[in-house]
Amino acid sequence: MRKLRHRCCSQLPKALLWETGGVGAQTLQVRPLSSQGSCTQPARCLPAAVVKPHPHRQQEQQFSSLDDKPQFPGASAEFIDKLEFIQPNVISGIPIYRVMDRQGQIINPSEDPHLPKEKVLKFYKSMTLLNTMDRILYESQRQGRISFYMTNYGEEGTHVGSAAALDNTDLVFGQYREAGVLMYRDYPLELFMAQCYGNVSDLGKGRQMPVHYGCKERHFVTISSPLATQIPQAVGAAYAAKRANANRVVICYFGEGAASEGDAHAGFNFAATLECPIIFFCRNNGYAISTPTSEQYRGDGIAARGPGYGILSIRVDGNDVFAVYNATKEARRRAVAENQPFLIEAMTYRIGHHSTSDDSSAYRSVDEVNYWDKQDHPISRLRHYLLSQGWWDEEQEKAWRKQSRKKVMEAFEQAERKPKPNPNLLFSDVYQEMPSQLRKQQESLARHLQTYGEHYPLEHFDK
Amino acid sequence: MAAVGSAASWLFRLRAAGAEGHWRRLCGAGLARGFLHPAATGKDAAQRRQVAHFTFQPDPEPREYGQTQKMNLFQSITSALDNSLAKDPTAVIFGEDVAFGGVFRCTVGLRDKYGKDRVFNTPLCEQGIVGFGIGIAVTGATAIAEIQFADYIFPAFDQIVNEAAKYRYRSGDLFNCGSLTIRSPWGCVGHGALYHSQSPEAFFAHCPGIKVVIPRSPFQAKGLLLSCIEDKNPCIFFEPKILYRAAVEQVPVEPYNIPLSQAEVIQEGRDVTLVAWGTQVHVIREVASMAKEKLGVSCEIIDLRTIIPWDVDTVCKSVIKTGRLLISHEAPLTGGFASEISSTIQEECFLNLEAPISRVCGYDTPFPHIFEPFYIPDKWKCYDALRKMINY
Repeated sequence: MRKLRHRCCSQLPKALLWETGGVGAQTLQVRPLSSQGSCTQPARCLPAAVVKPHPHRQQEQQFSSLDDKPQFPGASAEFIDKLEFIQPNVISGIPIYRVMDRQGQIINPSEDPHLPKEKVLKFYKSMTLLNTMDRILYESQRQGRISFYMTNYGEEGTHVGSAAALDNTDLVFGQYREAGVLMYRDYPLELFMAQCYGNVSDLGKGRQMPVHYGCKERHFVTISSPLATQIPQAVGAAYAAKRANANRVVICYFGEGAASEGDAHAGFNFAATLECPIIFFCRNNGYAISTPTSEQYRGDGIAARGPGYGILSIRVDGNDVFAVYNATKEARRRAVAENQPFLIEAMTYRIGHHSTSDDSSAYRSVDEVNYWDKQDHPISRLRHYLLSQGWWDEEQEKAWRKQSRKKVMEAFEQAERKPKPNPNLLFSDVYQEMPSQLRKQQESLARHLQTYGEHYPLEHFDK
Repeated sequence: MAAVGSAASWLFRLRAAGAEGHWRRLCGAGLARGFLHPAATGKDAAQRRQVAHFTFQPDPEPREYGQTQKMNLFQSITSALDNSLAKDPTAVIFGEDVAFGGVFRCTVGLRDKYGKDRVFNTPLCEQGIVGFGIGIAVTGATAIAEIQFADYIFPAFDQIVNEAAKYRYRSGDLFNCGSLTIRSPWGCVGHGALYHSQSPEAFFAHCPGIKVVIPRSPFQAKGLLLSCIEDKNPCIFFEPKILYRAAVEQVPVEPYNIPLSQAEVIQEGRDVTLVAWGTQVHVIREVASMAKEKLGVSCEIIDLRTIIPWDVDTVCKSVIKTGRLLISHEAPLTGGFASEISSTIQEECFLNLEAPISRVCGYDTPFPHIFEPFYIPDKWKCYDALRKMINY
């Protein structure tokens, strides 16, 4: 029990008596009461409960005993005497920002980013090259050439629009359906293929399933299969960038399904409380494998969660590459300048199956898929824009299709021919240095192969 | 009647004040006596002291690292953290309640000294703490994360096992989080029960890619923690919380390193090898003296220090010499780390063994509260197991 009486005269400060009913409080913050108490020697008297403002507390709670305002440390709000539950707004949610209509025409000219022709052509070529690569690699899995693949059909706009709005050195944490970001950053086809084939040229040394790309040079952190784990990691990286005064933003991509994970909640909360320069980019594509959004959440999507964490949030048309670009550009500018997180929910549609292990006709209609493929596709909309600008035509389209297909096929054939990495690479990089016990295991495999090597596919592996 | 009444009310006041130590003394004096003979109980309570299950044995003052200072375990941790933040401008410390100094006072003074951007609280979220720490480490900065109790590390298990441990391997060494260290209070504390007493090292032992380190003393702690922080692999550093105040020794003020993955033979012997880590090292030290005194048996004592990757060679070398091995830990028997040691040693040293390898561990139950004195692998259980091994 803390002593609250004046040391000199044993008086309890009057205001304390009134507020606390005379029971000793633990950390009561009150103004000095030298004038209010009836202490006989006020100058010498220090009520023991008077505290200095807490050195580390951000909000200073100045108490005044006569005020009727709420004093709770946990919320800054007024009292209300009407019992009313806040109605979550599900009829009309957060509006969707767009620049182009479905036919690629600019709706509000003041929102047109007026990007130069070369840049917009780069958007188009990145998206279409990705699309071509997707078709060929999906097919190659069907033919048993690679073990697994995930396409990006319909979401190319989310990748390219956002990547284009960043600096090349901004760090990217992805989930697994952001290959267009790497494509925009000129990751060579050879390296996409090398990772999918797990051949000697794979920077990942053949350790992961296809589409788990990574590139240090292009600041794209290697993909991992567990969902949403990248979210709090991205926040930590942003915090470090802030401390380093790097003028870098970190962007973190994830789907609306991954946003249900605890790691997403953790990431959002940390980013806001620790004031990190990060863009959270949610690709809301309607499905998490077979689970539609109606079974993923009951609130107004992901954008509505942002304000709950104190995060500035926006919802955009993910199939409108300019809308994605504008939102990301502005978010980047402010995140770095103001050291705070931004949440962009890009609405889009997953035209392809979840992966080569999925047949989505089991849970959605072909009509639904066709609608998006034909009526609202990021590549088509941008093509209409290019055509209307006079920056593209049918002839260039035909030539580019042929050229991009040829590039992909060449890279594909070369990737197929290359051997796999040496099996010794099974053992390295577990730690920076190889522990002695692991070295023994490596030696034991080498001895085993000497005797039983014929039962192993050694001929495909580097010697 | 009056005697009983006054004894009962005295007892009640002690219980109400949460004075468990007093309660134990009373139990030790015999409950019936306590109720009926308050005067006698008072005398017994004054004579009996709270007996922990171990006696901390400080190591001799180290001479080779310069000036030393008397420090307890939490102070030696603070010293290591202080040295780290002074040397490495990228280093940051974060977790729940670290800003004001931490619930075990390990981070006292650091925020004032190094600033609020370097020593800061996070929201209450272990998966976030570790994930955030990984992200800092990915950029190359040094991240020192605190998990308030090892019992609460499990929400972060996915981030540790699926992410931190695999970062370098899965990226082909393009990326890593080697500059991440996770510190966490660990082990029994007398009254911690299920959720303030756990020793979860075995869960992490099964995870290639991380290192798990457990010190037995302040001097060991500072050197090992500094090594963990500087190690280029993600490390978990478990701090025996019962030693935070109880363990006091002379610790160098300047930074120094104790190597990881190297066990220490802290006492040489001929007849039996005793292996333990953390608090339990002090238990087996006492068992070794008991064995010497009562059985004339000479024990070799090994502090394992690093759980993974563990120092197989030192333990093998010892067992080849002695032929007998006893391993002891607080964590439950089944699947505990003693099973890994036992399995490896019987593979490597089978023909040298004179008796089956003995494991003296916690029971296969959650860590109990009131039954802690019965649960823990105390010196009597270890002594008994040793005796049986000698007589095998």
